Amino acid sequence: MKINTWFGVLGIGRTGEVLEFELFSKDIRELVRCSIALQENRQLLRQHLPPAGFDLKTAALECGFVESSAEYYSLLHEVMVEAAKLQVSEAFTADQRIIQAVEALDDINETTNLLSERLFEWYGNYFPESGLSGEALALFIAKYGSRENIGSEDPLYPRARNSMGAKLEAADEVLLKGFAESVCSLYERKRQTEAYIQDSMESIAPNLSLAAGPMLGARLISVAGSLEKLAAFPSSTVQVIGASKALFKHLRARAPSPKHGIIYSHPLINTAPWWIRGKIARALAAKLSLAARIDFYSGEKDASLVEKLEVKVEQIKTSNPKPPQKKQDSGVKPKKRRGRK
Amino acid sequence: MPEVKLLSDGIFEVTKDKKQLATMNLDPGKVVYGEKLIQVEGVEYRTWDPRRSKLGAMVLKKFNISLKENSKVLYLGAASGTTVSHVSDIVPEGAVYAVEFAPRSMRGLIGLASRRKNVHPILIDAGKPESYAHIVEPVDLIFQDVAQPNQAEIAARNASRYLKRDGYLLLSIKARSIDTVANPKEVYKGEIKKLEQAFEPKFEVLNAKDLMPYHEDHLGILAKIR
Repeated sequence: MKINTWFGVLGIGRTGEVLEFELFSKDIRELVRCSIALQENRQLLRQHLPPAGFDLKTAALECGFVESSAEYYSLLHEVMVEAAKLQVSEAFTADQRIIQAVEALDDINETTNLLSERLFEWYGNYFPESGLSGEALALFIAKYGSRENIGSEDPLYPRARNSMGAKLEAADEVLLKGFAESVCSLYERKRQTEAYIQDSMESIAPNLSLAAGPMLGARLISVAGSLEKLAAFPSSTVQVIGASKALFKHLRARAPSPKHGIIYSHPLINTAPWWIRGKIARALAAKLSLAARIDFYSGEKDASLVEKLEVKVEQIKTSNPKPPQKKQDSGVKPKKRRGRK
Repeated sequence: MPEVKLLSDGIFEVTKDKKQLATMNLDPGKVVYGEKLIQVEGVEYRTWDPRRSKLGAMVLKKFNISLKENSKVLYLGAASGTTVSHVSDIVPEGAVYAVEFAPRSMRGLIGLASRRKNVHPILIDAGKPESYAHIVEPVDLIFQDVAQPNQAEIAARNASRYLKRDGYLLLSIKARSIDTVANPKEVYKGEIKKLEQAFEPKFEVLNAKDLMPYHEDHLGILAKIR
């Protein structure tokens, strides 16, 4: 019987004794390559699988691959560490990069809003009449600093002249200008990250990007953990991704089931009348799930998916033109669900 | 002078201010996850926090983990190596095959393994034991902390391939990863039953204890092949 090991291919007898062998060279890179190939290739693996309980170390000594037990472990150790390093570096794939970008974008948004509000409050003491906020305010402060620096050509000039704001001292002006520049660069970073996500989504998940929009698609991948996992999810899971709190409340107690998770941000759902949102969410999730699968397994763009989705949504809309009538309370208590109260 | 008491092979109770679980540091001077180093008569001990380690909690709950200095261990669900580092301390002449599937955790584990010659990291799914058959030898102990819904099955399939006849299986069952809503006590019962009957090999459960107060909704199990 032939078996694969990390140090070579062995022919063994019934009791596990080594009859013949073809050893790999003791080159670490070569051993790493073979070991990873055996881990990842299931066919290779099944063909010459060592029997349960097979003692690899004794076999390695028997066929002379290593001189001693100590040498066996030290070589194995080196190969395993190098193999793991290589696999870790290869694990950072395109979809993982998108996930990092999505999470970075959330952090940027949160930080930007926080700092923008601070800037608004702070600068409001010096020029409350500006009527600016957010990026416009940050750009304004970065450009002018004190309201006294506004040129007469600027439409805000009259308001600045009659402002009730305090006088901005030089030291404060430096501080605020620097602060505003940071905020401006955060807005810039936000646009850059969004553009990056759009481009990457277009190349690694074109169908999902088309059906969900690049941002929602990227978020779905992010929550699922990878494009592969998203493709493996049933569409009912895709439908409620991001609504786990509501879902578990539903499973645990009598709460209603969530109709949609983060896919709510899709325009087909959030512009639809409330009584058909659940139905549309179900149809959309089904198509998104298909899109993720096409992207993961074939990668070809298929525009018919979105067309079919639109037809389906039209159908739902025409067959449910009016909100359902409220059901009469029959007085029977709803069935108790399993689980703890 | 801190007081040292031997609890079992390689595991100590060091008393400095308070009683603490500890192992002898195989990599002197180096701290792995923020634990304390205590010197006693030229020997360096690393304290072992039972709240951060299921195995540590099991030791305090009087599980007999029966490791010798040359024991071979298959560690499933190694994470970034917090507990692996202590197992590595306990078996200085042995081998720890540390299986972990998440690349993020593996980064920490690789850092640990490159400083400890007895730790062999494997980036692989513990649910597919054939995929590391070309690497792992028969072992004296399988420790499993994988938080998967089919953890009993994973344990059985690994044991059938890698556990010596007289070896032990130590298992940490996380109730919440099997059924998020069911009562943990019911989940524990079900899992013990699965270990005893559902798969090949069948196990004899020698000890099973809740890991409170160190870990919530976790059960520690010590078993051997029947």
